[in-house]
Amino acid sequence: MIIVALLLATQVAVQDPRLERLDPETRSSVIAIVDSAREMGLPSEPLVQRALEGATKGAAAPRIVAAVRRLAADLGTVRTVLGARASTPELEAAVAALRAGASVPVLASLRDARRGPLTMTLSVLADLVASGVPPDSAAAVVLALAPNARDVDLVEFRRAVERDIALGAPPAAAAAVRVNAGARPGTAASRP
Amino acid sequence: MFEQDDDIVERMIRQLRRPVSIDPGLDARVMGEIAAAAQPGKRRTWPWLAAAAAVLAVVVVTRPWTLDPGTSRADAFQFVLVAPQAASVSLVGDFNDWDPARSPMHTAHGVWATVVPLAPGRYRYAFLVNGVEWRADPAAPNAIDDEFGTPSSVVTVAGRGS
Repeated sequence: MIIVALLLATQVAVQDPRLERLDPETRSSVIAIVDSAREMGLPSEPLVQRALEGATKGAAAPRIVAAVRRLAADLGTVRTVLGARASTPELEAAVAALRAGASVPVLASLRDARRGPLTMTLSVLADLVASGVPPDSAAAVVLALAPNARDVDLVEFRRAVERDIALGAPPAAAAAVRVNAGARPGTAASRP
Repeated sequence: MFEQDDDIVERMIRQLRRPVSIDPGLDARVMGEIAAAAQPGKRRTWPWLAAAAAVLAVVVVTRPWTLDPGTSRADAFQFVLVAPQAASVSLVGDFNDWDPARSPMHTAHGVWATVVPLAPGRYRYAFLVNGVEWRADPAAPNAIDDEFGTPSSVVTVAGRGS
């Protein structure tokens, strides 16, 4: 009985006061997902932020709960790929890449190809897809750049591709041309 | 003519969006100057001592050895939205708990801007115009997994030295 009381007290203590912005029903569902994720060693902050985003945007309760649950599942998937030592930003970026269409084997290849943090690499992959580059093309070019490019190089590469697309280049071609140009020192994909 | 205006606005945005970098030694120098000014008679004699004390104070307060190597302290990022007709604009995102009250933007001739400190990571955000209208950042990648029916953008902050 005492143990149960202590457990309940602990549960109340760890509840995030920010979640009070959610209605009671949504809040209890989100807390259950967050607690479950935490028990699995997954970061809770992205889940809290997704719930708060939904609340601020006035989304319906089922939509908020579904979004948080889906994010928890995706965080679990990418954590399996990237490993238990992956940071929260890496996991969040990996989820974005996964949702952009990068397959689990592509994520694993990026993990193996790049030394150091993967956050920017995965983010650039997701952002390229958001710019219109087909997922397979985006994955191929980022995999080509991953072993040697610095984070600033990757950001500059993404910006160059976005500029080319804005000027009318087909997205896949823009990415391919830029990655080929980046293979030569002193060209646009390198740091200015 | 409008294209010229757009070009000027675009250049202004690019300038405004440049990260504001603050010299990490600034605190130490300021504290050193304050310490020296507080003791005018000793300013020439012990400036190095004041500076050393200031550096020690900064080191003790910030405890850099506690920082994870994969992360670093937040850099200031400026967010800008051109919205000449807007009466109010707020920046909301993962970095401020999606709370419109936390990062109100300030305007100069319809160019709304605010500065937010961001640690390395990937953040979703959006602009809330007049308290009702959601807008993505036209100068940033879109969030492709919007699940709430409104546009959002993403910003990714790299760790230092990466």
